[in-house]
Amino acid sequence: MRKLHQIGLLIAFTCLATGVASAQSFRVQCPNSTITHPAALNDVEPAYTGPTTLSAPSASTFQAPTANVNGAIKCQQISGGDGYATMGDGTQTYLFSFGPLSGLAKIASGQAGTDSPTEFNTINPPSNVLLPGDPATTDDPSGTSTPNLASFTYNGAVGQVPDLDNGGAINGHVDPRQMLDVGVMNGNIPAPLMAIDEDDEYFLTLSNVGMIMRPDLFEQHTVHFHGYPNASAFYDGVPDASVAINIGGSFTYYYLAPDAGTYFWHCHITPPEHLQMGMVGQLYVRPRQDRVTGDLYTALQNQQLDLRTACPSSADTVHSDILCSNPLPAVNTGAAGAATIRQGGTSGYAYNDGDGSTYYDVEYPIQIHGFDPNFHFVGMTFNPEGFADMKDKYFLLNGRSYPDTVKSGPLETQSSDGVNHFSQPLPSIINITAGQRALLRISDLDVSEYQTLASLGIPMHVVGYNAKLLRDQAGNNLDYYTNSITLGGGESLDVILDSCAVRAVGGACTTTVPVGTYYLYTPNLDHLSNDAENFGGLMTEVHVN
Amino acid sequence: MRETKMNKTISMSKLLAVVMLALASLFTATAHASAPGITGTSFSLTAQSAYLTQPDGQAIYSWGYGCSAGFMPTFAPATITTGFCNAMQVPGPTLIVTEGSTVTVTLTNNLPTSAGNTSILFPGFHVATSGGVTGLMTQEAAPGGSVMYTLTGFSPGTHAYYSGTQGDLQVEMGLYGAIIVLPATIPSACTSGLAAANVAVEGNWGESDFRLANASGAVGAAYDNNHACYDREYIFQFSEMDPRIHTQALAQVRATAGCAAGATGCSLNVATEPYHPGYFMINGRSMPDDMDPNYAFQYPHQPYNGNPHMHPGEQVLIRVIGQGRWQHPFHEHGNHVRILARDGNLILSPAATAGETTPLAGPLLFTTTTTPGLAFDGIFYWTGKGLNWDAYGHNPTSSDPNAKLTCTPDANGYNTGVAAQTQINYYEWCQDHNKPVQVAPFGDVASGGPATLPDANILTNGAWYSGSPYLGPDATTRAVGGTCTGVNNTTSCTTSGSTPPSGTIANSPSSEAGFAFMWHSHNEREITTNNIFPGGMLMMMLVDSREFVIDESM
Repeated sequence: MRKLHQIGLLIAFTCLATGVASAQSFRVQCPNSTITHPAALNDVEPAYTGPTTLSAPSASTFQAPTANVNGAIKCQQISGGDGYATMGDGTQTYLFSFGPLSGLAKIASGQAGTDSPTEFNTINPPSNVLLPGDPATTDDPSGTSTPNLASFTYNGAVGQVPDLDNGGAINGHVDPRQMLDVGVMNGNIPAPLMAIDEDDEYFLTLSNVGMIMRPDLFEQHTVHFHGYPNASAFYDGVPDASVAINIGGSFTYYYLAPDAGTYFWHCHITPPEHLQMGMVGQLYVRPRQDRVTGDLYTALQNQQLDLRTACPSSADTVHSDILCSNPLPAVNTGAAGAATIRQGGTSGYAYNDGDGSTYYDVEYPIQIHGFDPNFHFVGMTFNPEGFADMKDKYFLLNGRSYPDTVKSGPLETQSSDGVNHFSQPLPSIINITAGQRALLRISDLDVSEYQTLASLGIPMHVVGYNAKLLRDQAGNNLDYYTNSITLGGGESLDVILDSCAVRAVGGACTTTVPVGTYYLYTPNLDHLSNDAENFGGLMTEVHVN
Repeated sequence: MRETKMNKTISMSKLLAVVMLALASLFTATAHASAPGITGTSFSLTAQSAYLTQPDGQAIYSWGYGCSAGFMPTFAPATITTGFCNAMQVPGPTLIVTEGSTVTVTLTNNLPTSAGNTSILFPGFHVATSGGVTGLMTQEAAPGGSVMYTLTGFSPGTHAYYSGTQGDLQVEMGLYGAIIVLPATIPSACTSGLAAANVAVEGNWGESDFRLANASGAVGAAYDNNHACYDREYIFQFSEMDPRIHTQALAQVRATAGCAAGATGCSLNVATEPYHPGYFMINGRSMPDDMDPNYAFQYPHQPYNGNPHMHPGEQVLIRVIGQGRWQHPFHEHGNHVRILARDGNLILSPAATAGETTPLAGPLLFTTTTTPGLAFDGIFYWTGKGLNWDAYGHNPTSSDPNAKLTCTPDANGYNTGVAAQTQINYYEWCQDHNKPVQVAPFGDVASGGPATLPDANILTNGAWYSGSPYLGPDATTRAVGGTCTGVNNTTSCTTSGSTPPSGTIANSPSSEAGFAFMWHSHNEREITTNNIFPGGMLMMMLVDSREFVIDESM
C-alpha cells in the first residue's frame, strides 16, 4: 500500500513535469542581497543605533537605504503534507501538517528553523544523502527513540542544488527528489518554529509535497501570518482572498518583519479541518531593543524618528496613530541594553519597552492546542467529518500532552512509511536558573474552545497581549500579575516567570524562589487527561535550578 | 439531515454553491454594510415569531423583536433608503439614540400564547417601567399585552438589549438587539484636519457619508474623545442557534395552539441543555448570506449584514456585541483593533484627567473575544504601512498616468495633501512608493524587487482574489497585461488576454480589485453552517483603492 502511494505520487509528478513544460514548480528563494538590504551579504543584524537612512523621495524612483541599514535577511522552507504524532497515551495520531525543509538540525534541537542566507544557501554535498525520516533516521538509526542530535548537522534548504543550466548558480533551483524524500510524511506538531528580528526581510517558502494517506485529496496549503499588522491580502495566506499552493508547487511568502511580538502561523485552507488536523506553528519577532547597547529610552526615542515605527504622544492630534505599538514609557528608568543580547546569548526583551520592563534571561514558545481523536480518525479513514460536535480529547502544549511535555529532545513517531520521524520536536520544560526570568511566548490555536493555563507557585507576569506591549497611550505600563491566563484560538500572550522572590532596586535578585519543580497546568480539570487516561493533558513543569 | 464534509468532491460542490451564491450577490448588487437601524426617542416594538433562512436551505423557527403595526420608524443613516422594519427580525431593530435624551420603548407581546410573557432588559441604562406584569427581572408583557420602558442615563457607545424572561430560551430563539448611543458632543478634532479631509475625499469620489448622526445631526465620533473619531462604522452581533431547540419549540407551540394564557399546559417546556449549536451567525445571518446587502429582500427577518469595506487610512469603528451564550474569538485579519470601550465605558489612561484629549488605555488586539451580553467598540484601519513594497504597483516608466502618480508624505508619512485628495493613491504610505516587490514581473509594474512569484498554473485562485498582488483595478490591470485609460476618477480599465484569472468573481479585477481580509471566529469550527464549510461566523472585509466607490446603501 505504501509503495502504491509512492508510485502514485511519482506518476503525479511526472504528469506535472510534462504538463507545465519547463516551468519549475518546486523552488526556494533566499537572496543574499535586496534593495532593502543592499550589502553583498546580510546574515547578521547590526547594532541598532537609529533609523535606516533613506534617499530623498523622487518621482522616478523609490526611497533606497543609503546608510545605517538595519536588520538582515532570513529564510526558511517548510513542507505542507501529512504525518503522524504520538499522543500522551501512546496513540499514533494522523496529522495534516507542516514539516521542516530547512534548519532541520536546529528544529530537531528545539530551535527555530529560520536561516541566514548563508545557512539557507549551503548546498548539501552529494555524499551526504538525505534519507526518508531525516533527521530522525540519521540521528537514531536503530529507532530506539534515543537520538544523538549531533549526527545530523545539515541546516540548509533541503533540495537546493546548483542550477546547471545557469552555470551552476545557487539560485533556488531544487532537486525535488531530496525534498520528497525528507518532506513526505514528515509532519510536525507544532509546525516548524520561526523566529526573526525586527527590520529583517523574511522569505518563507512553502512546498506542497502532498498527503500520502489521503490520495483522494488534492489539498492546497497556505501560510497565514496571524496578527501581522497592515498585511497584504496577497501574502496573508487566506485562499479565498489570494492564491493557494497546489501539490507539487512552491510559493515564497515575503514580509518585512513587523513590530516585535509573539505572533503565530497556520494554514488557512478549510481552517476547521486543517487547524484541527495540526497545521499550526509558532512565530515571533524579536525587538530592535535586543540590538541596542546603552540607554534604552534614548533608543526608543530614536525609533520615534522612523516614521514606520513612530508612536507619537497621544496629545499630539496631528501625529496620533491609534494602533501604534511602542509609545515612550511614562517613566524613564534609565535602563541600559545588555551588550550580550543576540550575540549568542539567550536573553533579550519581549518588546521595545524603552524601560527594560520586558527583559528575560531565557524564552520558551508555548503553543496551546487540542486534538479530537475522532476527527483525526475520520480524517485518516476517508470518512465524513462533522464540525459542530468537534470535541477535543487531547490537550496539547507544543503538540504534546503531559508527561510527554517534560520529555527532553524530539519525540519520534513511526509513520506509515515504516521509518521514524521527529514528529514533535519541542518539549515544554521551562528551565530557569534561580533568580532569572523566563519569557513564555504563549499562543493558542485550539479550534473549539477557550483554554486556561495556570501557574502553581510562580506568579505569571503578563507583559504583552496579541503581539503588543501592554502600555496605554500615555506610556503607562499596564502589565499585571496573575496566576492563570485564558486564551481563545487565535490569541497570544507574553508571560514572564520570575524566579526571583525579592529584587533590589536596580534589578539584582537578593532572594530567589526555592529551587525545585513548579507546574504549569490547566484548571479546566477535564483537560488534564489524555483521551481515556485521566492524568495528563495540558500540563508541564518549570524547573528552577 | 447532517451535512458533512464527506470528501472533496462534495466539499467542492458546496464551495461551488457558495461561489454561485457570491456570484449571484455580485450580479444583484455589490453589497456593503454600515450600522443601520431606526432612530428617534420613541420606539414601538413587538415580539413575535417567524422563520430565519440559513444558507443550507433551512428555515429556522425563531422569535424576534420587530416594529409594531402602525409604528413608522425613521431609518438611519439617511443615506440608506431601502430600510424596512418588519414585525419580526433578528437581531431586533438597532435603536439609534443620543446621549442625554429620554427614550421610551413600548413592547407588545405577540409571541405564541404558550411562550408566556416576554420583556426587554437594557443593561447600562436607568430604566423606568409602566404597565405590564411583574416579572423576575423587570416588568413583562403578558401574551397580547404591552409594557413600556423609559430609558435615561445614557452613556455613548454600543449596548445590547435582550429578553429578560426565560433568557435561556427566549434569547436563543432570537430576542436580542442593539442600542447605539451617539455622543451629544462631537469633538472638534473629529471634524477637522484629517477627519475632515477624509470626508472631502469621499465627496470627491462621489461617495456618501454613512455614519450615524446624533440628534443635532453631527457625525464623526463614537465618544466625546479625540481618539474616538471615525470615518466609517459597522456593527456585528454574534450569536449561535441549536436547531434542536428551535424544532422542539415549534413542535410544542403547534401542540398548544389556541390555548388560553395561564391555562394548565399552556406553556413550553423546551430543554435548552445539552447545547449543540449548528448555526453560528453574525447579525442573524451565516456566511455567505451575511455578505448580501442590508435589507435584502430575500431575508425579510434578517435585515442586517456583515460586509465591511474601507479605503486605506480610514478610521473604522466596529461595534461588536456577544448576543449568544458562548464566547467567540473574533479574528480581524489585516491589522489590530484598538479597543475603545466596553459596554459604553471608555477605557482611559488611569493617570490622566478626563476630557476630549484623555489618552486611551484599551488594548490593541488582533483577536477580539465576543462575550455574552457584552458590547465593545474598537477602531481599525489599514494603510499598508511597513509592507516594504508599493501596494499600488506604481511604475515610473509606465505610460499609464495612474502608474506615475506622486506620493507626497505628510508628517506621518502618508499621501494626504490637497493634491492627493483626488488621486487614486490618497493615503498611500509614501516610504514604499515605487518600491517593487517582484524581481521580474510580467506586467506594467516596477521590477527589481525581492520576490519571485511562481507560475500561476500551480496556484488556485480564491473567489475574493483581486487577480494580482496589487491594490485596485488600475494596478491589477497593469500587472496582468490589460490596459487602463484616463487618470484618477476618469480611469477605465479593460483586462484582456488570459485575464482576469478564473475564479476571482467576488472581487472583480477590473472594477474593485480590493485587498480582501477574512474576519471570522477563530474557533474555526464556528465558520461552518450546520457542519458545512464555509459558513457561519465569517465575512470578507475589503480594503479598496479610491477608484472603487463604496456604496453602503447597496
